[in-house]
Amino acid sequence: MNEPSDHPKRRVDVNVRMVDGEVVVLDRQSDLIHQLNHTASYIWDRCDGQSTVAEIANQLAAAFHVDADTALQDVATTIGQLQSLGLLESLRNLPEGP
Amino acid sequence: MSLMWDTLSLLVLGCHVRVQCQDAESRALLVANYGHMQGSRGPATLQYTVARQARGGGFLVSRAGREPLSASDPGMLLFLFEKDMTVEIEKLRPDLYFVHAAVLTLEHAAVMLVGESGSGKSTTTWALLHHGCRYFSDELGPLDLQTGEVYPYPHALCLKDVPPGSYPLPKNTLYTARTLHIPTAALPSTVGEDPAPLAAIFFLQYRPEAAAPVIEPLSKAEAAARLFANALNPLAHVGDGLDGAMKVSARVASLKLFSADLMATCALVRTTLKRLFSNEETKRCLQEQWPHP
Repeated sequence: MNEPSDHPKRRVDVNVRMVDGEVVVLDRQSDLIHQLNHTASYIWDRCDGQSTVAEIANQLAAAFHVDADTALQDVATTIGQLQSLGLLESLRNLPEGP
Repeated sequence: MSLMWDTLSLLVLGCHVRVQCQDAESRALLVANYGHMQGSRGPATLQYTVARQARGGGFLVSRAGREPLSASDPGMLLFLFEKDMTVEIEKLRPDLYFVHAAVLTLEHAAVMLVGESGSGKSTTTWALLHHGCRYFSDELGPLDLQTGEVYPYPHALCLKDVPPGSYPLPKNTLYTARTLHIPTAALPSTVGEDPAPLAAIFFLQYRPEAAAPVIEPLSKAEAAARLFANALNPLAHVGDGLDGAMKVSARVASLKLFSADLMATCALVRTTLKRLFSNEETKRCLQEQWPHP
């Protein structure tokens, strides 16, 4: 079984809007609203359940001109935060590995 | 004992509110607080009765369809009445996007002060009224998302504490055990009668330890999130109210205000607004009709 962070997937039952490259997420389930900065918004956008953390980090490194290690650390931290905020699909909803 | 019922007629955001007051004290309290809204002549859309409790000297606030509210003192009476009435008005006017905010105008453009309870909205409003701003509200910003206009809700300005010496309270301030209420007739400014286009939102945070106030720009996304968090009836609107907040933040200047010394804060707010209002884009936005959702 995949770890939750292997193929992170954003929840589809939240209201999401983007303005000037920043995402606003309204989670009616928890009655919370979140504003993501540019980097977090970029990562959120790629949490499609298909891309791995490493792949997202590679894309981030290229887009933001940062080294691979920094990108990987940023992605892992951000995904951890999104997960702790309950904005990612839980483990049971993720696709099974091969 | 004979009861004399004296009816107070209020026009609140187009809704006709009738309050039957059993005694002179409760009527005087409500008149001091809502005097500027008196004058409704249409059929009542909302009816209250305010009576003294048989024991304990408190008040009972009754409205058809709900249990009477019990207020132990005048401050609690005003608090409970205000809370119930504004919730009912929000239901009667779902077309308006209600924001928990103080509102004033400068040069005919509306400015909102948004912040948590205790952030200094009312105190800052009280001070700004001494510097050329006009009073709309210190509590409620009813916004028309179609036009971008804010409506006045001019109840008495309500403070939790006596403000610093530079801005003394007028003699006819109403003191209760909880709050201080300055009737609109005693304000140092005029009171808004008609809606005004929203030009700016300050998200307020009081930093008493700071040497000077600071204003910082806010991204549209953060402004939308903060505005949404202070919306009172978001679910009455498209996209659970998120679209309304996005729309406002896209068209209105949004700033963080870390307030400090009150006089310095007022000077900074005024300078910022003057600069903003001389900006061509702001002028264009204020004149343009807001796009329909």
